[in-house]
Amino acid sequence: MNKKRSIIFSLVRGTAAILIALAVAALLIFVSSDGAGAGEKLAQTADAMRQLLIGPAFKSSGGISVKNLSDVLAAMIPIVFTGLATCVMFSANQFNLGAEGGIMLGAFVASMVAIYAPLPPVVLPIAAILAGALAVGAMMLIPAVLKAKLGVSEMVNSLMLNYVVLYFIKYLLNSHLADKSKGQIMSYPFQAHAAIPQLIDNGSKLSWGFVVALIFVVLVYLFMYRTRWGYSIRMIGINQDFAMYSGMKVAAVVVLSQVLGGLLAGMGGGIEVLGRYTTFNWNTLPGYGWTGITVAILAGNNPAFVPLAAFFMAYLNKGCNLMSTYCGVPSQLIDILQAVIFVFFAAEQFLSGYRQKLVVKSTQEELKRAAQEAQEKGEVK
Amino acid sequence: MLDLILTPDFFFAILRITAPILFATLGAVVGEKAGVSNIGLEGIMMMSALFGSLTSYWTGSWFVGLLVALIVGVLEALLMGFFAFNLKTDIILTGIAVNMIGSGGTLFLVKVITNITEGKPLASTTSLITAVNQIPSWNIPLIKDIPVVGDVLSGHSILTYIAFLLVFLTWVLLYKTPLGLNIRSVGENPNAAASVGVSVLKVKYIAIGFSGLMAGFGGAFMSMYYAMGWSLDMVAGRGFIALAAQAMGGGEPLGSMLSALVFGFAQALSIKVSSKGIDSNLVTPIPYLVTILGLVVFALVLRSKVKRQHSAAALKEAEKK
Repeated sequence: MNKKRSIIFSLVRGTAAILIALAVAALLIFVSSDGAGAGEKLAQTADAMRQLLIGPAFKSSGGISVKNLSDVLAAMIPIVFTGLATCVMFSANQFNLGAEGGIMLGAFVASMVAIYAPLPPVVLPIAAILAGALAVGAMMLIPAVLKAKLGVSEMVNSLMLNYVVLYFIKYLLNSHLADKSKGQIMSYPFQAHAAIPQLIDNGSKLSWGFVVALIFVVLVYLFMYRTRWGYSIRMIGINQDFAMYSGMKVAAVVVLSQVLGGLLAGMGGGIEVLGRYTTFNWNTLPGYGWTGITVAILAGNNPAFVPLAAFFMAYLNKGCNLMSTYCGVPSQLIDILQAVIFVFFAAEQFLSGYRQKLVVKSTQEELKRAAQEAQEKGEVK
Repeated sequence: MLDLILTPDFFFAILRITAPILFATLGAVVGEKAGVSNIGLEGIMMMSALFGSLTSYWTGSWFVGLLVALIVGVLEALLMGFFAFNLKTDIILTGIAVNMIGSGGTLFLVKVITNITEGKPLASTTSLITAVNQIPSWNIPLIKDIPVVGDVLSGHSILTYIAFLLVFLTWVLLYKTPLGLNIRSVGENPNAAASVGVSVLKVKYIAIGFSGLMAGFGGAFMSMYYAMGWSLDMVAGRGFIALAAQAMGGGEPLGSMLSALVFGFAQALSIKVSSKGIDSNLVTPIPYLVTILGLVVFALVLRSKVKRQHSAAALKEAEKK
């Protein structure tokens, strides 16, 4: 199949997956709407779907909504990082699901540095983010080394670590680090110069972290596709035995991929808290890790497509929030939407009949061309 | 410390806490035997817990609630099977999707459903399950009168007894029935199984359906007995712990039951300790830590066993010469 056809196929497939998810969403909204008759329900569904699809970009009056769009861009920051982390780990076929706990630990460690470290401006936020990244990189050593040395499932271990991290942070925050003068459990405020400056000051919290995220997209892409280590990671994901027999250090790469994933997730956590908040007050896992997995799947584990996938997920999420504000549809609809898109994107055989047709068509054309060329050659003789 | 543990009600608690993990573990055991890694057990348990508790409230009958929980579990697992086997989605990714729905999706559903039926969206069903529609417990005649033993073994919910009975039944299924043979052969070598006429697809569907059934039991236990109703993320990783219990038990029903009991013990201990005034955030992660430790110990034991076998084989070889 030629390149153009395979791009067309990917587009058709992706669109079909998204349309199915939206159809499921519409159906759920229709059933859940409290309209009296079918007509009223239909109108409500249409209204809700309009919020979901158009709300994040346009005002109800028709103009482009800068505020909503910058909200969407700001929401991309953490999931670009968890998406990149998941890309790296899944590329090596390491089903490490610890980005969820990782981003929380990174956020927590960065917050602590931002509160307590006596460092000058500029240095402080950078040190805080790096500390968060390193902490999570170290955390990922646990499932990574256990997998590489003992063959223990990195998946189960990373899932368990998510819970351990959550309760460990809650314990430290509740018992030792909480600002007792506040009604809710939260840390003391960050030092003012720890904050990451904003790109646009409209309350969207679109910070320079967004730019850093995009820079890391490029860096991770270059690493994965232009370096020896990146090649090893991808090769081990494709065929571990082949990689081993051709002399790659499989164990080292297995560890490397997960530690890198940890560094990225931790960095995302640090950038998210310093760009968005002034204290640390997370008391549940934030869910960015799971969204990051969806992002990586939508991007086909290719870092270059991560921003696009992250934009899409952030857009849908914003749409769901608008829908719950204006139309009373619970915002958790996003989880169902996400899951449906996710499975169809990951389904190899989804629309395989259509792909078969395209392959057949390409081959027929090639055969025809070959026959023609042969004929022309014959005439020359 | 010891006098805290060596009480009948502590051992009673271990059995009670182990039951939902054990159900999910048996699901994982049968799934893995057929080569199907169902990591969606967690999400299926959430969904079954939700629909079990709602149905039990609507009908006033715990039995109908349990039945619906089981049906929901099986259907969700079969849907997973459709994506994994027919559409060739990676089974791990399918499981992740099911867990996404199990977390936020269930909250969406409960809000929507209660908005329609109760007139206002509820964020949990904890007010809906009462002693009337709870899964009943059973005082075993005769045994209940034996001092200590009766206190530990009698008075559990019916499902707790079913859970431990199912360990035996699962063993029978796997090792004493033609279906079990097929399940094991599909897991070990699908091509060989197919070549002798076993329908690999059908066996895989049966295995994943069974794991859904078990997760359904576990979910019903959680929302209709363990806690009085469904609440967000109430399964709290038990589906994942079950995967670890399966691995630590070497994939066998009995061994997996023992490792499930270890997790039950860890959790019962953490509850006991936190009742002594220690910050619960410090003790809640104990079962998760025990899981990691358990997997490591199991891997080490397995490794030295393999090494011993290798050296024994090498010695034999040397003797021959």
